[in-house]
Order: sequence, then structure tokens, then C-alpha cells
Amino acid sequence: MEQKKYSIKEDFSMLALLIIPVGVAVNFVGGQLASILKLPMYLDTIGTIFAAMLCGPWVGAVAGGLTNIVTGIANPVNFAFIPVNVLAGLVTGFLARRKMFSVWWKWIISMLVMAAVSIISSAPIVVLVYGGVTGGGTSIITAAAMAAGANIWAAFFGTEGIFTVLDRIISFVICWLVIKVIPPRTLVKFGCGSNYIKESK
Amino acid sequence: MEKTYTERIQIHKTNKLAGLYPSVKLLVVVLYTVCTFVLGTVHFTRVDLSLLLIPWFLVIPILCASSGALGKCVKALKAVALIALIILLVQTFLVPGGEVLVRFGFLRICEKGLKTAVSLSFMIMNIAGIFVWLFQTTENKEIARALEESGMNYKAAYVFTSTLQMIDILSENSKTIMNAQKARGVETEGNMIVRAKAFFPSLVPLILGAVIGSEERVLTLEARGFSIQGEKTHLFNLEKSGAEKTAAAAAVMITILIIAGRIALWVL
Repeated sequence: MEQKKYSIKEDFSMLALLIIPVGVAVNFVGGQLASILKLPMYLDTIGTIFAAMLCGPWVGAVAGGLTNIVTGIANPVNFAFIPVNVLAGLVTGFLARRKMFSVWWKWIISMLVMAAVSIISSAPIVVLVYGGVTGGGTSIITAAAMAAGANIWAAFFGTEGIFTVLDRIISFVICWLVIKVIPPRTLVKFGCGSNYIKESK
Repeated sequence: MEKTYTERIQIHKTNKLAGLYPSVKLLVVVLYTVCTFVLGTVHFTRVDLSLLLIPWFLVIPILCASSGALGKCVKALKAVALIALIILLVQTFLVPGGEVLVRFGFLRICEKGLKTAVSLSFMIMNIAGIFVWLFQTTENKEIARALEESGMNYKAAYVFTSTLQMIDILSENSKTIMNAQKARGVETEGNMIVRAKAFFPSLVPLILGAVIGSEERVLTLEARGFSIQGEKTHLFNLEKSGAEKTAAAAAVMITILIIAGRIALWVL
């Protein structure tokens, strides 16, 4: 099979443009649902991951950035986290292009990479901009660890790390379940969609 | 008299400040942020607190009130205020460093902690506050139109407006799906694993439906000539309130005065 060429202009097809709003809305609803079900995770990057898996890194990055801009309208604290969500989209998109979502052991690597990137990128923002505490569910644990004398960076990595990995696993499984049931005739219209179609022999 | 559709979708604002052109509002926001950073470098008292940020924050309620949107802004500011308060408390009591100022029981206030607490929490309040003012006095439709007018691609502006509509649509859909799944016996209460399991049957149909829906919307948009090359016409147009020049000049003047004051403090 010949190597598929990608260009940013072709990435943003009409369908990709319409997937961006869907991705942002899914991020939003996912976060809302997670708080309705009282889960100790944010789960607000599902849409970003989904858009990136289907349409590539640039669409994913735009979906991620736009999410934080839109949620920032209601709560400006989110503006500071734009880079985290953009990076999540970029990384997932590049992984999708490298076909890192095809076999189970590649999934695990991809998930760890995704989790690592978002922890590493959000740590400096949380620590430097907000002094380690953002008022989210895990903040209390971080604050407790800090009170016990732990270093602010160590406290953050320890508590946030576990939940971010869990967060990524759930987000990814949801995206995978959705992509599995999208019919191939729709999948081929997406930039990276053909990677998920099983070739019939 | 019955209004036509085009007349009904226009936005008329009687308040001059709220009706400012969106780009002028953005200028005010940027300059305010600059001022916040400049004022944050002025330190007072023995432990170098950036106390000037506190009176500076009063500007925001005044601005919101004179735009006639105080209620809405206070509501939006509450979320920010909560975070700022948590930061203030955590930083004041927990961060060690410098000499200990006050001590009661296990709580102690250190020099370094108090310093970062005050500057960090009020910095966040100030910057977030001015954004709250911008977004509470400007409708999303206006922002999208202003973006387009300032040279942004119409497709990008469409993505922006479409996103805001999509959030409402999908939130509604997710409630419907949740209720349907509950009726079919999916448990949404119980221990964490039960609740986490309920997450999947609610989200998967939602995303799938949205994807199939957007495939259809592409056809609809193309059929109406969305990607056609050429001049576009608009049904919704922005109005100027007439106070743009005064507002911009005032904002620039205040910024210059503050920066000049800061430099004067340095020199003296």
C-alpha cells in the first residue's frame, strides 16, 4: 500500500470542519456527564481525542483549543489550559497517522504517551499559574500532600498522574467503540478514517 | 407592525458601554491585562505585598455596573472567585518559606506564602474579571461577526458559531439518551465502577449520532453554496454605539498613566 500524503489544507475538509464543533461539544458534555455521575475525573478531552483520531493532528488541535476558548467564556480560568488541550489533540493525531491504534499493545503505548503529554504540559500551568490548586476534585489531595510537606511538583504529579491515566483510558475506549460502529462508507470520508477499516480478504 | 426576520435577528443595545464595537472591547481587555501586570510589580509593606491589585479590582464591578450587566457578571465571577479564594487560602497557610509572620496552632503564615497568595489570587481575579465583562456584555453572534469582519475566514467563523449551537444541542441529546438508558435499566447510581460503567452507554450513542448528523449537514451546506467562491452577504450586521473613540482613548490614557507612574516610582 502506498504511503498516504497529508496536507493541512486537505485536513480541513468540510466534514472535518463540522467535526470540530462536535468534538468541542462532546468535550463539554463529557465533562458535564462526569460531574453528574460524580466521577473523580474530568473526562473533558474525549472530543479532542475523537476529532484527532479521525481527522488528524491539526483538526484535533483546533478542537482542543476551541474547547477551552468556549468554556473560557463562562469560566476564564480555562484560558490558561489551552496549550494542554491543543497538545492532546496534536499528539493523538500524530499517533493516529502512525497507525498506533491498530493493535492492542500499540494502544497501551499510545495511551501512556497521551497521558504523559497531558500531565507534563499541565503541570507547569497548574503550579506556576495557580500555585498547584485549581479547585477541581483532585486539588484537595494535592493540597493535603503539600500541607504534609511534599514538594509542590511532586504533590501534583503524584495525584494528577493516576487520574490522568485513568481519564485517558476511558476517553480512548469510548472513541474506539464509536469508531468501531461507524460504517466504512462514512469512515473513508475522514482524513485518518481509512486506518480503521479492516481490509476484507 | 410585524417585524421581518432580518429585523428580528439584529441586536440593539441602548447602553453605550455594552454596545461598544467588539474589537474596542478587546482593546480594553488587553490594556487592562497589561495594567494588571504593571500594578502587580508595585510592592508595599515590609513583606512586599502587591496591594495595589485589590483596589484595581474595583474597576471591574464599576465597569460591569455601568454596562448594565452587573447581575450576570457577578454570577459568572462567582466561579472565579471561588478558585481565587482557594488559592489564597492554600498559598497563605501551606506554602513555607521566608520568616514566619503569624502562628496559631498548626497553621502558620509565612512571608513567601502570603506574598504569592495575594499577588496570584488577585492577578487571576483581575484578568478573569475583565474577560467576564467582555463575554457577558457581548453576544456570541457579535463575536463571530466581529471575527469575520476583522479578516477571519468565514469558515472559521462558522465553526465558532456552530460550536456554540452544538453544545446546546448535544447537552439536550445527552439528557434524552441518559433517560432512555435509565429506562432500559442502566444504573447511574452506586459505587464508582457502576457509575463509570454508565458513562459508556450514554456517550457512545451521542457521539455516533453527532457524527452521522454532521455528514448530513455537509450535504446541506454544500447544497446551499457554503464553499462557493465570491462575495458573501450577511443578514446580521454589527452596530457601533458611538462611544468607541472615547472609550479607546480613555483606555489608552489610563494605561499610559499607570506605566508612567510605575516608571516614576522606579526612578525616584
